[in-house]
Amino acid sequence: MTEPARVTGAVPGRSHVWLWLALALLAGVYVRALAFTPVERVQGLAQKIFYIHVPSAWAAFLAFIVVSACSVGYLVLKDQRLDLIAASSAEVGVVFTSGVLLTGPIWAKPIWGAWWTWDARLTSTLFLWFIFFGYLVMRSAVGEPGQRARYSSVLGILGAPLVVFIHVSVTLFRTTHPQPVVLKPQGPTLPGEMLTTLLLSVAVFTVFYLALTARRYALAKAELARAQALAEGDHAA
Amino acid sequence: MPPDNGRFMIAAYVVLAVLYLGYTLYLLRRKT
Repeated sequence: MTEPARVTGAVPGRSHVWLWLALALLAGVYVRALAFTPVERVQGLAQKIFYIHVPSAWAAFLAFIVVSACSVGYLVLKDQRLDLIAASSAEVGVVFTSGVLLTGPIWAKPIWGAWWTWDARLTSTLFLWFIFFGYLVMRSAVGEPGQRARYSSVLGILGAPLVVFIHVSVTLFRTTHPQPVVLKPQGPTLPGEMLTTLLLSVAVFTVFYLALTARRYALAKAELARAQALAEGDHAA
Repeated sequence: MPPDNGRFMIAAYVVLAVLYLGYTLYLLRRKT
């Protein structure tokens, strides 16, 4: 018997509930950051971009680490679900990296006096976006599912070291980008209220990442089931 | 006195809201 999802095209499951919940939490972060977090004395209001820029970067890195882990998993186990999770996570990661690349320059203009500078962290983040955008373009160009999963897995694994490089780039090179204020050996140097807002935002962006990836995965699975049902129908006809 | 750069903060928050809300609604509305 054909499942209703295959007939109506609706996405099964409760992924939409998690997405709405994540959006509500994200709205809460906006309120907390804009209205209930003190204004930084030197940078002024532009410093508040930090509370959405850093968590976006965290979510993007998490997304690409999941891509590489699932890619390794796919090459070992040949489980198609791992390929679909990797692809879903890559798309979500590209969206978050776009967020990083959009908010960074908006902060940089009033603080540095320039929208962009070709320093190590900015340039490597742009290249990270190129690699995973290329990953998505490649997936849409390769028709055979097994071949697509193998090529994607290799690219997904090769893209992951760039995440580590971006993280350490501010200590390896003399960059214009600010040094870490939380993840440092001597502990966070951010004042209490600002640190709370940042950690809250990181937690919410993690939930948002999980909700987006779960939804994208549910879509990918439903699309695959529909394509298989159509192929079986054609075969039977 | 902190510098007067609130318009950049608003621009960043609006741009990010449009991007993330847009992608979320795209995923919610998309059919297979």
